[in-house]
Amino acid sequence: MTKRISSKIARGSGELAILSLLAEQPLYGFEIARQIGERTGGALQFTLASLYPLLYEMEKRGWVEGHWQANQAGRDRRYYRLTTAGRKQLAPLRQEWRSFFQALDSLAGVSHA
Amino acid sequence: MPERMKPDWTELVREHLAVPCMEDVVSELASHLEEIYDDARACGTSDSEAMRIALEQVDDWQALAEEIARTESEEESMNDGTMNHRTKTVLLSAIAVLFGVGLMLLFVDRAALLPRVVWFACIALLLRAAASEVNRLNLRIKSLWLPGFVSLTAASLLMFAEEFVLVHDPSFYFTDISLRPNHLISGLPRWFYILWLLVQVPCGALGAFLSRRNGGTRVARIVAGAFPALTMFFVCGLLIPISAFFEHDAFALSHPSGLALGVLIWAAVPAVALLLGAAPFLKGSTLQSA
Repeated sequence: MTKRISSKIARGSGELAILSLLAEQPLYGFEIARQIGERTGGALQFTLASLYPLLYEMEKRGWVEGHWQANQAGRDRRYYRLTTAGRKQLAPLRQEWRSFFQALDSLAGVSHA
Repeated sequence: MPERMKPDWTELVREHLAVPCMEDVVSELASHLEEIYDDARACGTSDSEAMRIALEQVDDWQALAEEIARTESEEESMNDGTMNHRTKTVLLSAIAVLFGVGLMLLFVDRAALLPRVVWFACIALLLRAAASEVNRLNLRIKSLWLPGFVSLTAASLLMFAEEFVLVHDPSFYFTDISLRPNHLISGLPRWFYILWLLVQVPCGALGAFLSRRNGGTRVARIVAGAFPALTMFFVCGLLIPISAFFEHDAFALSHPSGLALGVLIWAAVPAVALLLGAAPFLKGSTLQSA
């Protein structure tokens, strides 16, 4: 089982994780948190408290856009989709993290075995 | 809490957040907790255990409330460091290009028409950029300088249009009337001038209206409305006499009454017309834009 990554690191990577997911399809908060957990094997986990401030901040920056949508269960959900500005952030963010891992690797040898 | 009784998540979130939050935020967080709770219940977890799992999502409600409030209040300051994407990529680029073209035309094109069109387009884009960044501007810029420049641009544009339509020779009448104010007593120059005075009224109204809309005080609205006349006063009353002095312009210096007349024609009388237009917007309190 993958070890859960500490919340500070998870939060730092949150923007990239959310942008990457939303680049595939619009999702609502609960689903974003669930998919991040599932697709990282539980290593990255976002609670309500860590997810929404980040989402709201990204929304204010104009990277994502939220809109309410009713579902069949009768529960309204706020779906987030990537904006053009958000899509443009994705490539530089990926590159930034790649450089970060390379730097960390050369310093501390943290690349995959 | 009795078994199988669904919690009111909206009420719970509202209570826990302690500080007032937007209803959208409360609903969204409540919906998230509800999904966690329902998920847990669907897996056969007891009601109290599902409740515990849902509430585990937030360690410190106060901290969450503060963080959300901070994000919301950052709306304006966020825009602080980062300029609006369209302003940065489209408007500023277009302004830079037009500015370069305008400068180039000053040197290569003798015709007055094209450079003017370019400069007006440049100013219009600059004002558009300022308008789209209005949340980042301080009150003085929003309520005085920006409306003032809009008023000045409108007045200049209308003078240009008037010259173009009436005499097909941009800048001729402005120059002619400036140098020979006695031409005003008859013929086309007189109608040119009267028409120009008339168009000052909506220009003054525009400046004062925008100033009031952006929260300008009465003084700011007066200055914004009369801005074209103040600019002309600066040009005719200060710039021309000072440059005449330093350039030893014998004609200008020996005819101070001509300079005074210039101030009267291009600044004082238009100021009255501009203030007439501004008058309806000097009353009442400020109307904050949405």
